[in-house]
Amino acid sequence: MREAWVVGGASNRFGKMKETGREAATRVAFEAIQQSGLEPKDIGYTFVSNCFGFTEKQGHVGPLINGGLGIPDVPSCTIESACSSSSAGLHEAFVQVAGGFIDAALVVGVEKLSHLDTLTATSYFAEAADYAFETKNGATFPGLYATLANAYQKAFPMKPEVLGAVAIKNHANAARNPHAQFQREISMETYLNSPMIASPLRLYDCCPFSDGAAAVVVAAKEFVGKPTTEPLVFRASARAGSITEMQDRPDLLGLPASRTAAQKAFRQAGMEPKQIDFLEVHDCFTIAELLALEDLGFLPRGHAGAAEVDGVTARDGKLPVNPSGGLKAKGHPVSATGASQVVEIFEQFNGLAKGREVPHAETALAHNVGATGGSCSVHIFSRR
Amino acid sequence: MQEFVHGYEEEQRLRGFRCPNCGLITATWALACPRCGRADLEEAVLADRGAVVAFTVLSVPGDDFLNDAPYAYVVVELDGGGRITGWMPSVKSEADLAIGTRVRFAPSYKPGVQFVKDAGPAAPG
Repeated sequence: MREAWVVGGASNRFGKMKETGREAATRVAFEAIQQSGLEPKDIGYTFVSNCFGFTEKQGHVGPLINGGLGIPDVPSCTIESACSSSSAGLHEAFVQVAGGFIDAALVVGVEKLSHLDTLTATSYFAEAADYAFETKNGATFPGLYATLANAYQKAFPMKPEVLGAVAIKNHANAARNPHAQFQREISMETYLNSPMIASPLRLYDCCPFSDGAAAVVVAAKEFVGKPTTEPLVFRASARAGSITEMQDRPDLLGLPASRTAAQKAFRQAGMEPKQIDFLEVHDCFTIAELLALEDLGFLPRGHAGAAEVDGVTARDGKLPVNPSGGLKAKGHPVSATGASQVVEIFEQFNGLAKGREVPHAETALAHNVGATGGSCSVHIFSRR
Repeated sequence: MQEFVHGYEEEQRLRGFRCPNCGLITATWALACPRCGRADLEEAVLADRGAVVAFTVLSVPGDDFLNDAPYAYVVVELDGGGRITGWMPSVKSEADLAIGTRVRFAPSYKPGVQFVKDAGPAAPG
């Protein structure tokens, strides 16, 4: 297997895009390729993710993006794995490049949802659950995570301020991220006064609906030669699946796919959690950040809440989590999220994360979940 | 899979499978056991009573439940085994329900699995 690198990464500002998804995707892809020092013709395959492209009446968007980049003869395909779509694309890019099938690959994720009303968007998001056995019985996407939060609270009683601490920390980080949808801090009072969406989750426990696009370029070390950026070296690229339905899971304290993907990734990398300097984790809801820290092996079960309250996960804490602001405050344009986590790590390693730097970071982990954990990706990167 | 849905709506019973190998009882349609992979699952009729193991009260529903919010979404451990999810239109706030509350399946006009609070004793296992 060849050593593979991420040599470029770009994102637009999440929130509301005037342009079409296809246009935004092409622009961030172009920027990522330019940044990498490679040329579009070096790309051997484009992996595109765009779960809700159908709402723009657009499918098969890969060839359109490649056409816009001046490389219409490069093959492409669309990768769908709900909220973990573009990290699934990243995994495929890694496999192709590290396996020697191609020298460089483009990974693009894009979503445009702002033309939909909240009810329609809520209903589309619920499609990633099991329609017959969950959605039809009343579940929504926040409702499913709220059910996990309820089970967690029963096992480990906690005050509302614990989940509030996650929201406040991620908003504080997003306030320093020009790509973020919510570039403002919030207070505990604002958090506690926000309306209940699905008990115990309030509005400020939930990621927003977001438009956005992000892209990364993956290339073989031997192909790049002398890099023009500080590349992210792939130490692990792992994926896992698990039973989707809450009703068949052995327990509700965490996401089994996160545990499996993390175990695979740490084994691949020959590393332990204590060797990771910062994390980008899948905090679609505040409770999901607690579950992630425990599932990934960074904290024992039931201990993540205290770590959040004590500032351990702050940018200057012992274990910085979501310096980008996370899905919660940076925004969650479903198919762009996995790629955007890697863009954050790229910016951190390249001195581009001005005002939100994690000091002395040499290694980082990205954790991206599909829906309520039917799919999960874990990537580990280090500097050269 | 349609027989499960018909089970809720027309036969007014909860269908499921029992795995002859690992004993898992599931209310989810499958061709092989989601826990051990054994393929010859036995059809089972599940108990219509059980206890809530986790729940949420939704204020913002999906489009199938537009006129029903607030309502509870529940994961129920059925007497005799197996878990199933459902909804409870009578639960309007978090204080109306607790983990451990006894509930029973109550077929309704609406597709899906509906539960109501159950005052009666647990059915024999």
